Amino acid sequence: MTQLSMHEPAGGGNPVLDLSKAPLPTAKTLGARRNLWLQFWRFVAFDLRIMRMVIKGHH
Amino acid sequence: MAEVLILGAGVSGHTAALHLRRLLGSQHKVTVVSPNSQWNWIPSNIWVGVGEMAKKDVVFPLAPVYARKKIGFHQAKAVAIRPKGDADDSRGAVDIEYTLPEKAGTTERLRYDYLINATGPKLKFEATEGMGPGGHTESVCTADHAVEANHKLREVIEVLKTGKPQTLVVGTGHGTCTCEGAAFEYVFNVDHELRQAGVRDLARVVYLTNEAALGDFGVDGMVFDQQGFQTTSELWTGSLFRERGVEAVVGTHVHRVEERTIHYETLDGTTHTLEFDFAMLIPPFGGVPLQAYDAEGNDITSELFAPSGFMKVDADYTPKPYEEWRAEDWPTTYAAPGYDNIWAVGIAFAPPHQISKPRKSPNGTVIAPSPPRTGMPSGVMGKTVAMTIADRIKHGTSAAPHTASMARMGAACVASAGTGLTKGSAAAMTMLPVVPDYQRFTTGRDERETRGELGLHGHWVKLMLHYLFLYKAKARPGWQMIPE
Repeated sequence: MTQLSMHEPAGGGNPVLDLSKAPLPTAKTLGARRNLWLQFWRFVAFDLRIMRMVIKGHH
Repeated sequence: MAEVLILGAGVSGHTAALHLRRLLGSQHKVTVVSPNSQWNWIPSNIWVGVGEMAKKDVVFPLAPVYARKKIGFHQAKAVAIRPKGDADDSRGAVDIEYTLPEKAGTTERLRYDYLINATGPKLKFEATEGMGPGGHTESVCTADHAVEANHKLREVIEVLKTGKPQTLVVGTGHGTCTCEGAAFEYVFNVDHELRQAGVRDLARVVYLTNEAALGDFGVDGMVFDQQGFQTTSELWTGSLFRERGVEAVVGTHVHRVEERTIHYETLDGTTHTLEFDFAMLIPPFGGVPLQAYDAEGNDITSELFAPSGFMKVDADYTPKPYEEWRAEDWPTTYAAPGYDNIWAVGIAFAPPHQISKPRKSPNGTVIAPSPPRTGMPSGVMGKTVAMTIADRIKHGTSAAPHTASMARMGAACVASAGTGLTKGSAAAMTMLPVVPDYQRFTTGRDERETRGELGLHGHWVKLMLHYLFLYKAKARPGWQMIPE
Protein backbone atom coordinates (compact mmCIF):
# COMPACT_ATOMS: atom_id res chain seq x y z
CA MET A 1 0.00 0.00 0.00
CA THR A 2 1.34 3.44 -0.88
CA GLN A 3 2.55 5.30 2.19
CA LEU A 4 3.28 9.00 2.31
CA SER A 5 6.10 8.72 4.76
CA MET A 6 9.06 10.05 2.84
CA HIS A 7 10.39 13.36 4.05
CA GLU A 8 11.66 15.73 1.43
CA PRO A 9 13.53 18.68 2.95
CA ALA A 10 12.05 21.62 1.14
CA GLY A 11 10.39 24.93 1.77
CA GLY A 12 13.13 26.64 3.79
CA GLY A 13 14.66 23.51 5.29
CA ASN A 14 11.41 22.15 6.67
CA PRO A 15 10.81 18.41 6.15
CA VAL A 16 7.64 18.82 4.15
CA LEU A 17 5.95 15.56 3.14
CA ASP A 18 6.31 14.48 -0.44
CA LEU A 19 2.68 14.24 -1.54
CA SER A 20 3.40 13.57 -5.21
CA LYS A 21 2.24 9.93 -4.74
CA ALA A 22 -1.08 10.96 -3.21
CA PRO A 23 -3.89 10.41 -5.73
CA LEU A 24 -5.42 13.55 -7.17
CA PRO A 25 -9.19 13.49 -7.71
CA THR A 26 -10.31 13.50 -11.33
CA ALA A 27 -12.57 16.23 -12.71
CA LYS A 28 -15.42 13.70 -12.55
CA THR A 29 -14.79 13.06 -8.84
CA LEU A 30 -14.56 16.78 -8.06
CA GLY A 31 -17.83 17.32 -9.93
CA ALA A 32 -19.52 14.50 -8.03
CA ARG A 33 -18.43 16.05 -4.72
CA ARG A 34 -20.35 19.20 -5.65
CA ASN A 35 -23.33 17.65 -7.46
CA LEU A 36 -26.37 18.56 -5.37
CA TRP A 37 -28.41 15.50 -6.34
CA LEU A 38 -25.60 13.00 -5.70
CA GLN A 39 -24.61 14.76 -2.52
CA PHE A 40 -28.17 14.67 -1.20
CA TRP A 41 -28.11 10.87 -1.44
CA ARG A 42 -24.67 10.70 0.15
CA PHE A 43 -26.06 12.87 2.96
CA VAL A 44 -28.95 10.45 3.50
CA ALA A 45 -26.63 7.43 3.33
CA PHE A 46 -24.17 8.94 5.81
CA ASP A 47 -26.94 9.78 8.29
CA LEU A 48 -28.28 6.23 8.06
CA ARG A 49 -24.79 4.89 8.67
CA ILE A 50 -24.43 7.04 11.79
CA MET A 51 -27.77 5.74 13.07
CA ARG A 52 -26.80 2.13 12.33
CA MET A 53 -23.54 2.66 14.19
CA VAL A 54 -25.35 4.22 17.15
CA ILE A 55 -27.63 1.17 17.36
CA LYS A 56 -24.82 -1.33 16.76
CA GLY A 57 -22.00 0.02 18.83
CA HIS A 58 -23.17 2.22 21.65
CA HIS A 59 -24.49 -0.25 24.20
CA MET B 1 -33.70 11.47 48.47
CA ALA B 2 -30.39 11.10 46.64
CA GLU B 3 -28.05 13.88 45.57
CA VAL B 4 -26.05 13.60 42.36
CA LEU B 5 -23.26 16.09 41.81
CA ILE B 6 -21.75 16.63 38.36
CA LEU B 7 -18.48 18.51 37.92
CA GLY B 8 -18.37 20.08 34.48
CA ALA B 9 -20.99 21.14 31.94
CA GLY B 10 -19.36 20.17 28.68
CA VAL B 11 -20.67 17.50 26.34
CA SER B 12 -20.41 14.60 28.82
CA GLY B 13 -21.33 16.46 32.03
CA HIS B 14 -24.28 18.31 30.50
CA THR B 15 -25.54 15.13 28.80
CA ALA B 16 -25.33 13.26 32.13
CA ALA B 17 -27.21 16.06 33.94
CA LEU B 18 -30.07 16.15 31.43
CA HIS B 19 -30.49 12.37 31.38
CA LEU B 20 -30.35 12.12 35.18
CA ARG B 21 -33.03 14.77 35.48
CA ARG B 22 -35.15 12.85 32.95
CA LEU B 23 -34.61 9.50 34.65
CA LEU B 24 -34.98 10.54 38.29
CA GLY B 25 -38.03 11.78 40.15
CA SER B 26 -38.17 15.32 41.50
CA GLN B 27 -37.43 14.05 45.02
CA HIS B 28 -33.84 13.49 43.91
CA LYS B 29 -31.40 16.34 43.47
CA VAL B 30 -29.17 16.83 40.41
CA THR B 31 -26.58 19.60 40.67
CA VAL B 32 -23.99 20.81 38.18
CA VAL B 33 -20.81 22.71 39.07
CA SER B 34 -19.13 24.49 36.17
CA PRO B 35 -16.75 27.45 36.08
CA ASN B 36 -18.32 28.53 32.80
CA SER B 37 -21.64 30.33 32.55
CA GLN B 38 -22.16 29.16 28.97
CA TRP B 39 -22.37 25.89 27.09
CA ASN B 40 -20.18 25.77 23.99
CA TRP B 41 -20.64 23.50 20.96
CA ILE B 42 -16.87 23.22 20.52
CA PRO B 43 -16.86 21.53 17.07
CA SER B 44 -18.27 24.74 15.55
CA ASN B 45 -15.52 26.91 17.08
CA ILE B 46 -13.69 26.14 13.82
CA TRP B 47 -16.21 28.27 11.96
CA VAL B 48 -15.93 31.07 14.53
CA GLY B 49 -12.18 30.96 13.97
CA VAL B 50 -12.63 31.82 10.30
CA GLY B 51 -15.46 34.31 10.78
CA GLU B 52 -18.19 32.12 9.30
CA MET B 53 -20.07 32.03 12.61
CA ALA B 54 -20.29 34.45 15.51
CA LYS B 55 -19.58 33.48 19.11
CA LYS B 56 -23.29 33.78 19.89
CA ASP B 57 -24.01 31.00 17.37
CA VAL B 58 -21.97 28.42 19.29
CA VAL B 59 -22.74 29.23 22.94
CA PHE B 60 -25.81 29.72 25.15
CA PRO B 61 -26.24 30.45 28.88
CA LEU B 62 -26.56 27.37 31.08
CA ALA B 63 -28.46 28.90 34.00
CA PRO B 64 -31.87 29.29 32.24
CA VAL B 65 -31.75 25.71 30.94
CA TYR B 66 -30.91 24.33 34.38
CA ALA B 67 -33.59 26.51 36.01
CA ARG B 68 -36.20 25.18 33.53
CA LYS B 69 -35.12 21.57 34.03
CA LYS B 70 -34.87 21.98 37.83
CA ILE B 71 -31.17 21.12 37.88
CA GLY B 72 -29.11 22.91 40.54
CA PHE B 73 -26.27 25.02 39.15
CA HIS B 74 -23.22 26.54 40.78
CA GLN B 75 -21.01 28.65 38.55
CA ALA B 76 -17.85 27.62 40.31
CA LYS B 77 -14.75 25.50 39.92
CA ALA B 78 -14.24 22.33 41.92
CA VAL B 79 -10.96 22.42 43.82
CA ALA B 80 -11.04 19.31 46.02
CA ILE B 81 -12.86 16.01 46.34
CA ARG B 82 -13.41 14.39 49.73
CA PRO B 83 -14.77 10.95 48.80
CA LYS B 84 -15.07 9.82 52.43
CA GLY B 85 -16.40 13.13 53.70
CA ASP B 86 -14.87 14.98 56.61
CA ALA B 87 -15.02 15.08 60.41
CA ASP B 88 -18.56 16.54 60.31
CA ASP B 89 -20.21 14.23 57.79
CA SER B 90 -19.14 10.91 56.25
CA ARG B 91 -20.94 11.63 52.97
CA GLY B 92 -18.68 12.50 50.08
CA ALA B 93 -18.05 16.19 49.48
CA VAL B 94 -16.57 18.55 46.92
CA ASP B 95 -15.01 21.91 47.74
CA ILE B 96 -15.88 24.55 45.19
CA GLU B 97 -14.76 28.11 44.57
CA TYR B 98 -17.22 30.41 42.82
CA THR B 99 -16.38 32.02 39.51
CA LEU B 100 -19.76 33.77 39.33
CA PRO B 101 -18.74 37.47 39.43
CA GLU B 102 -21.03 38.32 42.39
CA LYS B 103 -19.58 35.49 44.50
CA ALA B 104 -16.09 35.25 42.98
CA GLY B 105 -13.61 33.60 45.32
CA THR B 106 -16.24 32.44 47.82
CA THR B 107 -15.84 28.79 48.78
CA GLU B 108 -18.40 26.16 49.70
CA ARG B 109 -18.46 22.42 50.48
CA LEU B 110 -21.15 20.47 48.60
CA ARG B 111 -22.23 16.97 49.71
CA TYR B 112 -23.11 14.19 47.35
CA ASP B 113 -24.33 10.61 47.21
CA TYR B 114 -23.11 10.13 43.63
CA LEU B 115 -20.39 12.11 41.87
CA ILE B 116 -19.55 12.44 38.17
CA ASN B 117 -16.25 14.07 37.28
CA ALA B 118 -16.70 15.57 33.81
CA THR B 119 -14.35 18.50 34.25
CA GLY B 120 -12.91 18.35 30.73
CA PRO B 121 -9.40 19.48 29.86
CA LYS B 122 -6.99 22.02 31.24
CA LEU B 123 -5.50 23.69 28.17
CA LYS B 124 -1.77 23.44 28.88
CA PHE B 125 -0.40 26.23 26.70
CA GLU B 126 2.36 26.62 29.28
CA ALA B 127 3.81 23.26 28.17
CA THR B 128 5.31 25.09 25.17
CA GLU B 129 7.13 28.37 25.67
CA GLY B 130 5.59 31.23 23.72
CA MET B 131 2.48 29.31 22.67
CA GLY B 132 -1.14 30.30 23.13
CA PRO B 133 -3.27 33.43 23.14
CA GLY B 134 -0.95 34.99 25.74
CA GLY B 135 2.00 34.23 23.50
CA HIS B 136 2.49 34.19 19.77
CA THR B 137 -0.03 31.63 18.50
CA GLU B 138 -3.81 31.43 18.27
CA SER B 139 -6.20 28.74 19.45
CA VAL B 140 -9.74 27.62 18.63
CA CYS B 141 -10.21 25.60 21.83
CA THR B 142 -12.72 28.08 23.27
CA ALA B 143 -15.19 30.39 21.54
CA ASP B 144 -13.25 33.45 22.77
CA HIS B 145 -9.98 32.02 21.46
CA ALA B 146 -11.67 31.39 18.10
CA VAL B 147 -12.92 34.99 17.92
CA GLU B 148 -9.37 36.22 18.47
CA ALA B 149 -8.00 33.74 15.90
CA ASN B 150 -10.40 35.13 13.32
CA HIS B 151 -9.29 38.71 14.05
CA LYS B 152 -5.67 37.72 13.43
CA LEU B 153 -6.60 35.76 10.31
CA ARG B 154 -8.43 38.80 8.88
CA GLU B 155 -5.33 40.94 9.48
CA VAL B 156 -3.23 38.45 7.53
CA ILE B 157 -5.79 38.37 4.69
CA GLU B 158 -5.65 42.18 4.51
CA VAL B 159 -1.85 42.00 4.20
CA LEU B 160 -2.18 39.36 1.47
CA LYS B 161 -4.54 41.68 -0.40
CA THR B 162 -1.70 44.22 -0.61
CA GLY B 163 0.29 41.59 -2.54
CA LYS B 164 2.67 40.62 0.27
CA PRO B 165 3.12 36.84 0.70
CA GLN B 166 2.29 35.38 4.11
CA THR B 167 2.90 32.02 5.82
CA LEU B 168 0.08 30.49 7.83
CA VAL B 169 0.81 27.53 10.11
CA VAL B 170 -1.91 25.36 11.65
CA GLY B 171 -1.47 22.24 13.73
CA THR B 172 -0.49 20.86 17.10
CA GLY B 173 2.06 22.32 19.47
CA HIS B 174 3.38 19.80 21.96
CA GLY B 175 4.21 16.26 20.86
CA THR B 176 1.54 14.78 23.14
CA CYS B 177 -1.38 16.86 21.89
CA THR B 178 -4.76 15.42 21.01
CA CYS B 179 -7.57 16.87 18.82
CA GLU B 180 -5.59 16.65 15.57
CA GLY B 181 -8.99 16.57 13.85
CA ALA B 182 -9.64 20.15 14.96
CA ALA B 183 -6.32 21.30 13.49
CA PHE B 184 -7.09 19.38 10.29
CA GLU B 185 -10.47 21.14 10.04
CA TYR B 186 -9.04 24.53 10.75
CA VAL B 187 -6.25 24.31 8.17
CA PHE B 188 -8.74 23.50 5.40
CA ASN B 189 -11.19 26.17 6.55
CA VAL B 190 -8.32 28.69 6.48
CA ASP B 191 -7.43 27.46 2.98
CA HIS B 192 -11.09 27.85 1.97
CA GLU B 193 -11.25 31.41 3.37
CA LEU B 194 -8.06 32.38 1.55
CA ARG B 195 -9.55 31.09 -1.71
CA GLN B 196 -12.80 32.97 -1.05
CA ALA B 197 -10.77 36.14 -0.49
CA GLY B 198 -8.86 35.54 -3.74
CA VAL B 199 -5.45 35.51 -2.04
CA ARG B 200 -4.62 31.80 -1.84
CA ASP B 201 -1.83 32.03 -4.43
CA LEU B 202 0.14 34.40 -2.19
CA ALA B 203 -0.25 32.30 0.95
CA ARG B 204 1.92 29.40 2.07
CA VAL B 205 -0.23 27.14 4.26
CA VAL B 206 1.58 24.59 6.44
CA TYR B 207 0.07 21.83 8.58
CA LEU B 208 2.38 20.95 11.48
CA THR B 209 1.30 17.84 13.34
CA ASN B 210 2.47 15.38 15.99
CA GLU B 211 0.81 12.57 14.01
CA ALA B 212 3.45 10.19 12.61
CA ALA B 213 1.46 10.07 9.38
CA LEU B 214 -1.34 12.12 7.87
CA GLY B 215 -4.79 10.73 8.68
CA ASP B 216 -3.68 9.24 12.01
CA PHE B 217 -6.02 11.58 13.95
CA GLY B 218 -4.74 10.12 17.24
CA VAL B 219 -6.67 6.89 16.57
CA ASP B 220 -3.86 5.01 14.78
CA GLY B 221 -5.33 5.91 11.40
CA MET B 222 -8.07 4.01 9.62
CA VAL B 223 -8.37 1.52 6.79
CA PHE B 224 -11.29 2.05 4.44
CA ASP B 225 -12.85 -0.21 1.87
CA GLN B 226 -13.07 1.95 -1.22
CA GLN B 227 -14.54 0.44 -4.36
CA GLY B 228 -13.27 -3.02 -3.49
CA PHE B 229 -9.80 -1.93 -2.41
CA GLN B 230 -8.38 -1.22 1.00
CA THR B 231 -7.11 2.30 1.31
CA THR B 232 -5.66 4.10 4.31
CA SER B 233 -6.77 7.34 5.88
CA GLU B 234 -3.17 8.45 5.24
CA LEU B 235 -3.53 8.19 1.49
CA TRP B 236 -7.05 9.60 1.60
CA THR B 237 -6.12 12.71 3.58
CA GLY B 238 -2.85 13.04 1.64
CA SER B 239 -4.97 13.41 -1.48
CA LEU B 240 -6.81 16.36 0.06
CA PHE B 241 -3.54 18.04 1.13
CA ARG B 242 -2.16 17.65 -2.38
CA GLU B 243 -5.37 18.86 -4.04
CA ARG B 244 -5.50 21.96 -1.82
CA GLY B 245 -1.79 22.69 -1.92
CA VAL B 246 -1.37 22.51 1.85
CA GLU B 247 2.15 21.52 2.93
CA ALA B 248 2.37 18.92 5.68
CA VAL B 249 5.08 18.30 8.26
CA VAL B 250 4.41 15.22 10.41
CA GLY B 251 5.79 13.81 13.65
CA THR B 252 6.56 17.19 15.20
CA HIS B 253 7.04 18.51 18.71
CA VAL B 254 7.17 22.28 19.08
CA HIS B 255 9.86 23.26 21.60
CA ARG B 256 9.17 26.99 21.66
CA VAL B 257 7.55 29.77 19.72
CA GLU B 258 9.04 33.20 19.29
CA GLU B 259 7.39 36.10 17.58
CA ARG B 260 7.00 34.80 14.00
CA THR B 261 9.25 31.73 14.50
CA ILE B 262 8.36 28.18 15.51
CA HIS B 263 11.19 25.94 16.75
CA TYR B 264 10.34 22.27 16.44
CA GLU B 265 11.79 18.79 16.41
CA THR B 266 10.72 15.87 14.24
CA LEU B 267 10.71 12.13 14.93
CA ASP B 268 14.13 11.68 13.33
CA GLY B 269 15.58 13.95 16.03
CA THR B 270 16.39 16.88 13.76
CA THR B 271 15.37 20.39 14.75
CA HIS B 272 13.92 23.03 12.46
CA THR B 273 12.55 26.53 12.44
CA LEU B 274 9.52 27.76 10.59
CA GLU B 275 8.81 31.46 10.06
CA PHE B 276 5.14 32.40 10.21
CA ASP B 277 2.78 35.34 10.00
CA PHE B 278 -0.20 33.51 11.50
CA ALA B 279 -0.22 30.34 13.57
CA MET B 280 -2.95 28.33 15.26
CA LEU B 281 -1.52 25.51 17.36
CA ILE B 282 -3.57 23.19 19.57
CA PRO B 283 -2.17 22.83 23.12
CA PRO B 284 -1.85 19.55 25.02
CA PHE B 285 -4.62 18.68 27.47
CA GLY B 286 -4.17 17.89 31.14
CA GLY B 287 -6.68 17.08 33.82
CA VAL B 288 -8.33 20.01 35.59
CA PRO B 289 -6.31 20.34 38.82
CA LEU B 290 -8.26 18.74 41.67
CA GLN B 291 -6.98 17.63 45.06
CA ALA B 292 -8.41 14.68 46.96
CA TYR B 293 -8.47 14.20 50.73
CA ASP B 294 -9.60 11.44 53.05
CA ALA B 295 -11.87 12.03 56.05
CA GLU B 296 -8.87 12.99 58.20
CA GLY B 297 -7.67 15.53 55.66
CA ASN B 298 -4.75 13.44 54.34
CA ASP B 299 -3.88 14.00 50.69
CA ILE B 300 -5.04 11.03 48.58
CA THR B 301 -4.79 12.81 45.20
CA SER B 302 -2.45 10.16 43.75
CA GLU B 303 -4.97 7.46 44.70
CA LEU B 304 -7.74 9.03 42.60
CA PHE B 305 -5.79 10.76 39.85
CA ALA B 306 -3.07 9.81 37.37
CA PRO B 307 0.00 12.11 37.24
CA SER B 308 -1.57 13.76 34.17
CA GLY B 309 -4.41 14.99 36.39
CA PHE B 310 -7.00 12.71 34.80
CA MET B 311 -9.10 10.53 37.11
CA LYS B 312 -8.37 6.81 37.29
CA VAL B 313 -11.30 4.58 36.37
CA ASP B 314 -11.85 0.89 35.61
CA ALA B 315 -9.10 0.73 32.96
CA ASP B 316 -6.03 -1.51 32.97
CA TYR B 317 -3.20 0.91 33.67
CA THR B 318 -0.46 -1.74 33.66
CA PRO B 319 2.36 -0.33 31.50
CA LYS B 320 2.82 -2.47 28.39
CA PRO B 321 4.19 -2.07 24.87
CA TYR B 322 2.01 -1.10 21.91
CA GLU B 323 2.02 -4.67 20.58
CA GLU B 324 0.35 -5.88 23.79
CA TRP B 325 -2.39 -3.26 23.94
CA ARG B 326 -5.85 -4.81 23.98
CA ALA B 327 -9.42 -3.58 23.73
CA GLU B 328 -9.98 -4.87 27.27
CA ASP B 329 -7.53 -2.25 28.60
CA TRP B 330 -10.19 0.41 28.04
CA PRO B 331 -12.74 1.24 30.75
CA THR B 332 -16.33 0.10 30.45
CA THR B 333 -18.15 1.57 33.47
CA TYR B 334 -15.95 4.65 34.21
CA ALA B 335 -16.19 3.98 37.97
CA ALA B 336 -13.27 5.15 40.11
CA PRO B 337 -11.43 2.14 41.62
CA GLY B 338 -12.39 1.62 45.27
CA TYR B 339 -15.43 3.88 45.10
CA ASP B 340 -18.86 2.74 44.00
CA ASN B 341 -20.27 6.27 43.79
CA ILE B 342 -17.65 8.18 41.77
CA TRP B 343 -17.24 8.15 37.97
CA ALA B 344 -15.15 10.11 35.48
CA VAL B 345 -16.30 10.65 31.89
CA GLY B 346 -15.22 12.48 28.76
CA ILE B 347 -11.77 13.98 28.78
CA ALA B 348 -11.67 13.74 32.61
CA PHE B 349 -11.01 9.98 32.73
CA ALA B 350 -7.43 8.73 32.49
CA PRO B 351 -7.00 6.56 29.37
CA PRO B 352 -4.94 3.38 29.85
CA HIS B 353 -2.56 4.40 27.05
CA GLN B 354 -2.55 6.11 23.67
CA ILE B 355 -4.42 4.66 20.68
CA SER B 356 -1.78 5.60 18.09
CA LYS B 357 1.61 3.95 18.37
CA PRO B 358 3.70 6.12 20.73
CA ARG B 359 7.06 7.23 19.38
CA LYS B 360 10.17 8.96 20.68
CA SER B 361 12.79 10.88 18.76
CA PRO B 362 16.45 9.77 19.17
CA ASN B 363 16.74 12.69 21.62
CA GLY B 364 14.09 11.10 23.86
CA THR B 365 11.36 13.58 22.94
CA VAL B 366 7.98 11.90 23.21
CA ILE B 367 5.93 12.50 20.07
CA ALA B 368 2.76 10.55 20.67
CA PRO B 369 -0.77 11.82 20.02
CA SER B 370 -3.02 11.44 23.06
CA PRO B 371 -6.30 9.59 22.57
CA PRO B 372 -9.24 11.77 21.58
CA ARG B 373 -12.28 11.26 23.83
CA THR B 374 -14.48 14.17 22.90
CA GLY B 375 -17.75 14.56 20.99
CA MET B 376 -19.79 11.42 20.37
CA PRO B 377 -17.92 9.11 22.81
CA SER B 378 -18.08 11.81 25.52
CA GLY B 379 -21.84 12.08 25.23
CA VAL B 380 -22.27 8.30 25.26
CA MET B 381 -20.15 8.01 28.42
CA GLY B 382 -22.20 10.74 30.12
CA LYS B 383 -25.48 9.03 29.30
CA THR B 384 -24.15 5.58 30.30
CA VAL B 385 -23.06 6.74 33.74
CA ALA B 386 -26.35 8.64 34.18
CA MET B 387 -28.24 5.39 33.52
CA THR B 388 -26.03 3.49 35.99
CA ILE B 389 -26.68 6.07 38.72
CA ALA B 390 -30.43 6.21 38.01
CA ASP B 391 -30.62 2.38 38.27
CA ARG B 392 -28.68 2.41 41.54
CA ILE B 393 -31.00 5.03 43.01
CA LYS B 394 -34.16 3.28 41.82
CA HIS B 395 -33.20 -0.37 42.28
CA GLY B 396 -30.48 -0.36 44.91
CA THR B 397 -26.71 -0.30 44.85
CA SER B 398 -26.46 -3.85 43.48
CA ALA B 399 -27.94 -2.79 40.11
CA ALA B 400 -25.55 -3.80 37.31
CA PRO B 401 -23.66 -0.89 35.77
CA HIS B 402 -24.24 0.15 32.17
CA THR B 403 -21.17 -0.06 29.96
CA ALA B 404 -19.74 1.91 27.04
CA SER B 405 -16.19 1.02 26.10
CA MET B 406 -14.41 3.09 23.46
CA ALA B 407 -13.19 -0.26 22.15
CA ARG B 408 -16.82 -1.20 21.39
CA MET B 409 -18.54 2.08 20.50
CA GLY B 410 -18.34 3.85 17.18
CA ALA B 411 -17.91 7.51 16.37
CA ALA B 412 -18.60 9.86 13.52
CA CYS B 413 -16.01 12.51 12.82
CA VAL B 414 -17.00 15.19 10.36
CA ALA B 415 -14.05 17.43 9.62
CA SER B 416 -15.09 20.59 7.84
CA ALA B 417 -12.96 21.61 4.88
CA GLY B 418 -14.83 24.81 4.11
CA THR B 419 -18.28 26.31 4.56
CA GLY B 420 -21.15 27.17 2.23
CA LEU B 421 -24.42 25.39 1.46
CA THR B 422 -23.33 24.78 -2.15
CA LYS B 423 -19.58 25.42 -1.94
CA GLY B 424 -18.78 23.77 1.38
CA SER B 425 -16.95 20.52 1.88
CA ALA B 426 -16.03 18.13 4.66
CA ALA B 427 -14.23 14.89 5.27
CA ALA B 428 -16.93 12.72 6.80
CA MET B 429 -15.64 9.67 8.62
CA THR B 430 -17.21 6.92 10.67
CA MET B 431 -15.25 4.38 12.67
CA LEU B 432 -16.29 1.36 14.65
CA PRO B 433 -14.84 0.92 17.17
CA VAL B 434 -12.97 4.10 18.14
CA VAL B 435 -10.15 2.05 19.70
CA PRO B 436 -9.00 -0.51 17.13
CA ASP B 437 -9.41 -4.12 18.16
CA TYR B 438 -6.97 -6.24 16.16
CA GLN B 439 -8.22 -9.41 17.85
CA ARG B 440 -11.69 -8.95 16.33
CA PHE B 441 -10.89 -7.20 13.05
CA THR B 442 -7.85 -7.65 10.81
CA THR B 443 -7.73 -3.91 10.12
CA GLY B 444 -8.62 -3.09 13.74
CA ARG B 445 -12.12 -1.94 12.83
CA ASP B 446 -15.34 -3.10 11.23
CA GLU B 447 -14.70 -2.32 7.56
CA ARG B 448 -18.42 -2.05 6.81
CA GLU B 449 -18.82 0.79 9.31
CA THR B 450 -15.41 2.45 8.95
CA ARG B 451 -15.66 4.80 6.00
CA GLY B 452 -14.36 8.11 4.78
CA GLU B 453 -16.02 10.37 2.23
CA LEU B 454 -15.27 13.85 0.95
CA GLY B 455 -17.89 16.17 -0.41
CA LEU B 456 -20.54 18.80 0.05
CA HIS B 457 -22.76 16.36 1.97
CA GLY B 458 -20.14 16.28 4.73
CA HIS B 459 -20.65 20.00 5.23
CA TRP B 460 -24.41 19.49 5.43
CA VAL B 461 -23.90 16.74 8.03
CA LYS B 462 -21.67 19.00 10.15
CA LEU B 463 -24.18 21.84 9.89
CA MET B 464 -27.03 19.52 10.81
CA LEU B 465 -25.09 18.26 13.84
CA HIS B 466 -24.46 21.87 14.88
CA TYR B 467 -28.18 22.66 15.02
CA LEU B 468 -29.21 19.26 16.40
CA PHE B 469 -26.76 19.30 19.29
CA LEU B 470 -27.51 22.90 20.24
CA TYR B 471 -31.21 21.96 20.25
CA LYS B 472 -30.48 18.90 22.36
CA ALA B 473 -28.23 20.79 24.79
CA LYS B 474 -30.96 23.40 25.26
CA ALA B 475 -33.24 20.50 26.29
CA ARG B 476 -35.94 21.50 23.84
CA PRO B 477 -38.95 19.17 23.41
CA GLY B 478 -37.90 15.70 22.28
CA TRP B 479 -34.19 16.36 22.97
CA GLN B 480 -33.72 12.83 24.32
CA MET B 481 -34.63 11.40 20.89
CA ILE B 482 -31.39 12.83 19.45
CA PRO B 483 -28.63 10.24 19.96
CA GLU B 484 -25.38 11.21 21.61
